[in-house]
Amino acid sequence: MNRPAAGRVGVVALRVVRQLKRDRRTIGLIVFAPIVLMILFGYALSGDMSGVHLGLVDGGGHDALRAHLVSIQDFDILRLGSESDAERLISEGRLDGAVLLRPEEVRVLLDASSLQIAGAIAAAVQAGTAKERAGLETTGRTKGAENAIVTRYIFGYDLKMMDTVGPAILGLVVFFFTFINAAIAFIRERSQGTLEKFMVSPLSRVEMVSGYVLGFSLFTILQSATTLFVVTTLFGVPLRGSPLTAMAVVLLLGAGALVLGSFFSNFARSEFQVVQFIPLIITPQIVLCGIWWPLQSVPEFIRPFSYILPLTYAAHALRAVMLKGAGVADILYPDLLALGIFFLIFFAAATLMLRREVA
Amino acid sequence: MREIEPAISARGVTKSFGRQRVLDSLTVDIPSGVTYCLLGPNGSGKTTFIRAIVRLLRLDEGEMSVLGRPVSEVDKIYSQIGYMTQHKALYPDLTVQENMEFYAGLYGLKKQQRVARLEELLEMVDLSLHRSRLAGALSGGMYQRLSLACTLIHEPELLLLDEPTVGVDPRLRQTFWEYFNRLAKEGKTVLITTHLMDEAEKCRMVGYMRAGRMVAEGSPEEILHLAGLRPILKLWLAEPERDAAQLQAQGYEIEVEDGVVQVRLESHAQIKEVLAQVSPLDMRLAEPKLEEAFLRLSEAA
Ligand SMILES: Nc1ncnc2c1ncn2[C@@H]1O[C@H](COP(=O)(O)OP(=O)(O)OP(=O)(O)O)[C@@H](O)[C@H]1O
Ligand SMILES: [Mg+2]
Repeated sequence: MNRPAAGRVGVVALRVVRQLKRDRRTIGLIVFAPIVLMILFGYALSGDMSGVHLGLVDGGGHDALRAHLVSIQDFDILRLGSESDAERLISEGRLDGAVLLRPEEVRVLLDASSLQIAGAIAAAVQAGTAKERAGLETTGRTKGAENAIVTRYIFGYDLKMMDTVGPAILGLVVFFFTFINAAIAFIRERSQGTLEKFMVSPLSRVEMVSGYVLGFSLFTILQSATTLFVVTTLFGVPLRGSPLTAMAVVLLLGAGALVLGSFFSNFARSEFQVVQFIPLIITPQIVLCGIWWPLQSVPEFIRPFSYILPLTYAAHALRAVMLKGAGVADILYPDLLALGIFFLIFFAAATLMLRREVA
Repeated sequence: MREIEPAISARGVTKSFGRQRVLDSLTVDIPSGVTYCLLGPNGSGKTTFIRAIVRLLRLDEGEMSVLGRPVSEVDKIYSQIGYMTQHKALYPDLTVQENMEFYAGLYGLKKQQRVARLEELLEMVDLSLHRSRLAGALSGGMYQRLSLACTLIHEPELLLLDEPTVGVDPRLRQTFWEYFNRLAKEGKTVLITTHLMDEAEKCRMVGYMRAGRMVAEGSPEEILHLAGLRPILKLWLAEPERDAAQLQAQGYEIEVEDGVVQVRLESHAQIKEVLAQVSPLDMRLAEPKLEEAFLRLSEAA
């Protein structure tokens, strides 16, 4: 095989752009789908915020208090592993407070930015401890029941749901569309016979996939630019970091989705079958990427999956860039690194699958 | 005849798909600078043979060389090969011109060269007026023509055309064949598969495949001869019995049917000789059909 030539990569990229440009429906979807999704998810989930999100770090003991907290209808209890998890989620505005139960003490973390909710949580804890004390008195075991309740206030960002979800939706939409479009494009290359013709031309497999990455990247830029514009102007999500950094994250994610799509096109015989990949490839990412509920609440045995899915890193990085003003250096590890590795692995897999000798 | 090194040389080439032997120790030489027509019934292995030449599949057994290189190195000379697949390998959502530009770009044609080549080929396949139409909106024959133009764009030395004229109207087919023969005159090798015998007759060489083997090979005339088919001269004579007897006495193969004397000729040169003997009221020459030759040959095989 000859060395990759920029010229041929450019020729493939230009062709991909010409094809996509002509496909008005796809262009429309690329631009409007993110907006529609954001409205949908953003508002559907912000309604959910009326409940009180309370973290619970369970170190044992205090059965009556626990039972009391769980029994309160307005409380959404999220079980967490450690106090630091709870702290972080509160500071990110995803929890209103947390209760840490240990046999020797009860610690209460409250979000100082929403005092009303903090008050409700404190009152519930008081009531729960009172019940616990009453229970112990009837059984005559008063000793050790006089545990201190330590209360700590943390300043959360008090983010609206749209703020937390917006950046991640950008990643989700780019991933979804690039994956599907790339898989379909490669299936067509096969069924049209153009792939066979490439194989008998100076175009190498690396050049071909690179050309696709380049061509699709232009559309990813278009898509992320419009989405960023809409989330910041229409939905008022802050963009504290550089839009270029955000775009870099999305481009890397899009490139990963493209090679993944190319790779999976080998396992589908028709465009119709590509659609059947959605539940397999796309849905787990949506569920496990940490957009809708924090990764800490994903059951431990599934959590490793979250950490191999690219959307997890993209969502995390985008959130950091947009909400906290992170720069490239801040998200290099683990987010950009993970996205880069994902891209490289599937780039290699996709090119290897485009075998020259078909049989 | 320019019998240098053959453009393609296959020795005992064998390929199976599962238990089916699609190429069965096929041995064939395709000389450079000729039009070579590969014929054979559906499923006889024509497409498989072409795909083996460009190494789209690996041989089970046998050896093959392409333009003087072993087939294992054929990827180094892909820029000298023009391969037209049986499915047309175009992008329906690009225009005629965009499709051609894309393939020109793949082969690294420079701008000036590309423009000139594009015009020339658009002219040849008669699509100049349709250059801005989407390929997907073309008629079947036009689509086929565009595919041919894309295959020729980089002026390949070796052309492998798998049924290039399917659905193309007779006038344009004529143009195509003139073009192919011109290419062969320039020293290029053109390997074509077809199911049309009248096309095969236009080729310098014909190979007839059956069940993965070469049943017969040679120029169209040689094939006819091999099958024992001769041109027949039909004579309407004033005294058929007498003239028939006279011709027969001189060693001609004669048959009389409904008073028409039929002479089986060894060659066309014999027409003159026959006419020196008899003066017919009317006559007709019946050329043998290549199709019949192949039917005979494949029955014999
Ligand atoms: N990739 C493959 N896998 C399995 N069988 C195959 C494959 N390619 C071809 N065949 C079989 O090999 C045989 C020869 O096929 P081939 O396409 O070479 O025939 P052909 O002479 O080109 O026929 P046609 O005139 O219809 O184009 C057929 O029976 C076909 O089913
Ligand atoms: Mg065929």
